[in-house]
Amino acid sequence: MDRSREQQMEGSGAVPGPEFTALEQLMVRYQQADAAAATALIEQLSPLLYRFFAAQLGNRDDASDMLQDAWLRIHRARHTYRAGEPVLPWVYAIARCVRVDSYRKRRRIAVREVVVDVLPEPATAGDASADLPSFDQLIADLPASQREVLTLLKVNGLSLEEVAQATSSSVGSVKQKAHRAYERLRSLLRSSYVRRGTAS
Amino acid sequence: MRNREPIESEMDELLSGRQFLPVPPDRLKRIEAAVTADLKPVRPMASDGVYFAAFGGVFLAVWIIGCYMAGQRGWHALSDIQRIAVFAPLAVTTALLAFSVVRQMRPAAKYARSSARLSAGVFVLLLLIMPVIFQPARELAFVRNGMACFRTGMRFAIPAAFFFALLLLRGAALSPALIGATAGGLAGLVGLAVLEIHCPNLNVYHIVVWHVSVTLVCVVAGLIFSSVTFRRSTSNQ
Repeated sequence: MDRSREQQMEGSGAVPGPEFTALEQLMVRYQQADAAAATALIEQLSPLLYRFFAAQLGNRDDASDMLQDAWLRIHRARHTYRAGEPVLPWVYAIARCVRVDSYRKRRRIAVREVVVDVLPEPATAGDASADLPSFDQLIADLPASQREVLTLLKVNGLSLEEVAQATSSSVGSVKQKAHRAYERLRSLLRSSYVRRGTAS
Repeated sequence: MRNREPIESEMDELLSGRQFLPVPPDRLKRIEAAVTADLKPVRPMASDGVYFAAFGGVFLAVWIIGCYMAGQRGWHALSDIQRIAVFAPLAVTTALLAFSVVRQMRPAAKYARSSARLSAGVFVLLLLIMPVIFQPARELAFVRNGMACFRTGMRFAIPAAFFFALLLLRGAALSPALIGATAGGLAGLVGLAVLEIHCPNLNVYHIVVWHVSVTLVCVVAGLIFSSVTFRRSTSNQ
């Protein structure tokens, strides 16, 4: 893993992903129908993808369905990967498309269905300080595009360039979305601190 | 962004204690089984240059055949300035659209959307130039003449669209609507380019309404066709 990526991972608190070069090699072997490489790729990338879906949806069942859908599409599109190119932006571009399609599908279904009851998902964060909102609660208030950028940067540990590549946008646009997200989160955190102060 | 924003440390603090849920093991096994059961060697996609040449080749081939079959009376009716003003933006739009289509065939490829936006901008510029370089004229059979031109344009745009669709099958369309509209636009430009060579009618209304509409109809048709096809393929999964 290159140094800049390591530094970014250390700073972000994100769980480090698998080695890039190893992933590229696995991907090439996967294209050559190597079953061991396919299994290794699924085992290494699935936690990252699951985290990507779960962080934005907050629903484990949907995240799990989307993970399966993502792998079906990755499998069908595996010939579009070119050796030597980073694997993660390629994978996340497909995952992002799965998330958008799933959102549209759920919206179509929701229009036809009558909502009887909505049970809140149990909080998934293992946050030590109970007074502070969890990461999921914090980002839930952000617009989808900012939430996506923040998830890719902070949870999945991608660099700005990789996020730009995965989201088909420019680095400047990613920086702007992240900056706006931080601005909004700052005010949210400030208000939670105020609440904590008044409570104690 | 280079200096870490203060909020980032707060978020890192939140993330450091966060326990990420593992993927359900049964789901992981199911995915592995599905992928390995259908494991066949695949040939990686050729370089972007190859596809760009293929799209350009189809465009040129259909355009040349179209000009040969429909005739070149329009070319002779145009002045040198009109030729440059029409064909230079058309060539730029075509190149940008072809570039965009090729880029959209691969996930995470750079400049796919920006080149499509730029090509739309150049095309709008062409529309703005047209009233300056062509004069309005009164036409008795505006609709009949126009429909004849529209049919001629579509006669060459449709085969081009078919060949473009064959090329697109090799890629992975992550944004079916956009790639459909882009490829449709490229096919429509074949029809428009044929008409600019073929049609001697220099009435600006005729050109803007009937020649340009070939491209616009193809954009909309490509968008709808691609979206519907993709929706069917995903709902069948």
